[in-house]
Amino acid sequence: MLNYYRIFVISWLAIAFPIAAAADTVCFQCHKKEAFSGKVVHQPLAKGQCGACHNPHVAHFKGLLEAEGSALCFSCHAKEENAFKQGMVHQPVRSGQCLACHVPHSSSRSGLLKEQLSATCFGCHDKLPQKFQYTHSPYAQGQCYSCHRPHQSVFGELLKDEPDKVCLSCHKSQDLQKGHLNYPGTLRNCLSCHNPHGSSRKGIVRDILHAPFAQGCKECHDKGEIQGSTQSCLRCHEKVATGMLARHSHLTGKGENKCVACHSPHAGNEKNLLKGSQLQVCRSCHNDTIARYENKLYRHPKAKEGTCINCHEVHGSNRIAMLRADGNAICTRCHETQGKFTHPVGEKVVDVRTGQMVTCVTCHLPMGSDFKYELIYSGSKDLCIQCHKRY
Amino acid sequence: MKYVKNILSQSALLAVSIFMVATTSLAAEPWAWKATLDGAGSGQAIVMPTALYIDAERQRYYVIDSGNNRLLSYSQEGNFLLAFAAEGKLQIPYDMVRDNADVIWVVEKGRNSLTSINIKAKEILTHIIKDGSRTLVLDRIDYKDSIFYILDKETGQIALLNSDLTVKSWISCAECTSGIVDFKLVNDGIWALDLLDKKVVQFDHDGKLIKNFDVGQTLEFPVSLAIGPAGNIYVLDRHAPAIAVFDTEGSFKYTFLAKGWGRGELYFPIEILFDPWGGLCVVEEGNGRVEVFGR
Repeated sequence: MLNYYRIFVISWLAIAFPIAAAADTVCFQCHKKEAFSGKVVHQPLAKGQCGACHNPHVAHFKGLLEAEGSALCFSCHAKEENAFKQGMVHQPVRSGQCLACHVPHSSSRSGLLKEQLSATCFGCHDKLPQKFQYTHSPYAQGQCYSCHRPHQSVFGELLKDEPDKVCLSCHKSQDLQKGHLNYPGTLRNCLSCHNPHGSSRKGIVRDILHAPFAQGCKECHDKGEIQGSTQSCLRCHEKVATGMLARHSHLTGKGENKCVACHSPHAGNEKNLLKGSQLQVCRSCHNDTIARYENKLYRHPKAKEGTCINCHEVHGSNRIAMLRADGNAICTRCHETQGKFTHPVGEKVVDVRTGQMVTCVTCHLPMGSDFKYELIYSGSKDLCIQCHKRY
Repeated sequence: MKYVKNILSQSALLAVSIFMVATTSLAAEPWAWKATLDGAGSGQAIVMPTALYIDAERQRYYVIDSGNNRLLSYSQEGNFLLAFAAEGKLQIPYDMVRDNADVIWVVEKGRNSLTSINIKAKEILTHIIKDGSRTLVLDRIDYKDSIFYILDKETGQIALLNSDLTVKSWISCAECTSGIVDFKLVNDGIWALDLLDKKVVQFDHDGKLIKNFDVGQTLEFPVSLAIGPAGNIYVLDRHAPAIAVFDTEGSFKYTFLAKGWGRGELYFPIEILFDPWGGLCVVEEGNGRVEVFGR
């Protein structure tokens, strides 16, 4: 009789009080409400709708959550789910880790950010120096949003706009002209000379100068018809020119000068005058490849750290995927033991499916795989029976 | 008379209906593997084939076995005929055509040469192609009406060469910021592909842009294109790998084929083209073969 009475009272309460009141009265009876308060409170929480994310009884996910990672967030933020798939997508967004930057309940910062904006960014981008001898003012003030978007962008480096337009959004054109007297040509491509974060040089000019640039502009910009073309680079970099006469080459890219797709002709942060980190430079064209493997469970350490040139010949190669050596030699440079003692590989061992030479990459996919040792299929059976069908 | 008319009109209606049903079922038929051109017949596996040349007149396929520096010929049925290594002189052959005078022209990446092979005269000559002072970086090649169409990899433009190998004119795509990576000559002009912009472009015979359309929503790394018998545009995605089909206005129709090492699967495909017998040929650099698909 007592049980029937309880059910009646609970049912009546459920009808009489809205969910908000239920959360207020039920959840916060145990969970301290103060722990969920702050300057900015997540809307469902503010409305007392704890059940929007949590199941009060039982759930498949930690914290009695209804779903995991971004799937939970996108159950309300549906518009963002589609928008965050466009163009270049920030790594935590791509891997559904919204909580890498945001907190779910309340924060003292807008956008429910975990920490101050720059601290949130530096939390992952820990190789970026926090300060330079000459630091760009928005960078010094931790205003990463001045130039970058946090989730995705159609522009490289998650920029808000084309690089020059981002610069011009603060720097007035006429002021720039004054600072670039005798500039040979139209003032553009700011990042070719300047590091937008900071530098040890005045005017945040990048640290390493291309030798001809250090001697003045005329070396390249006063040579008649070849000025600015790929040839103007290759006449000095002969070895690169030879390397490009290969089955596959990177003699491609936007614009007349293919070299500047990856290199700055003027100044850079390191000796190769790359326009960014290797991963950034490669991603500008190979976003599909990087995105495909980025979230795989098992990745080769070099692929993970984004040192693409460890295995790939970046100018030209006669091998598939522009590898530096064949599918065995490239691996045994480091994996010496496997080079001597392993499943038979080499010219005399034939992949029965295709008649091609068996190499390490016949079974392994170093870029990334969901199987241990970056295997192409599961090592327990599926991989072996690709060729050993009788087993 | 009226009775006869009725019968005739009904018969015509029936015939049209049967024809429509037949063609609809034909159109809906999926692409299926038909033949494989591999190195088995030559006693040596093909290594990194880069192109296929089809000689409709002789009913022959020619596979450019780039990794072994040789050319392999096959019958229309896909039977191996001959391996030709040009006395071991070829250096990374990449693509080829045969001209009206029966001379074979091979793009050699290793020497950046358009090498002529006159088998009857037993003569092999290398030719470095220049436009003014600039040397062209040779890539894809085709031949029509005594004109060589050759892709210059450095500029991403197509050079039209006279028989004496002088540059007659250029076809360039102002819309394509990254340049052309593949092209096909068809009766109504030239279709070309821009990899980084993920764009298909159509030119008339004079190189005037007719139209272009974006394939970026469907493809990740488009490297080759072919024009099907019905006029649809087939675009090869090297990284997916798969083939996407678009109509002439650029509307996406469907994709087919997938990654793998078995029959009918693709691994690092590099070129597609249609043979005159309705087959769709896919050159697979990764699997060392050419697969021919039919319906």
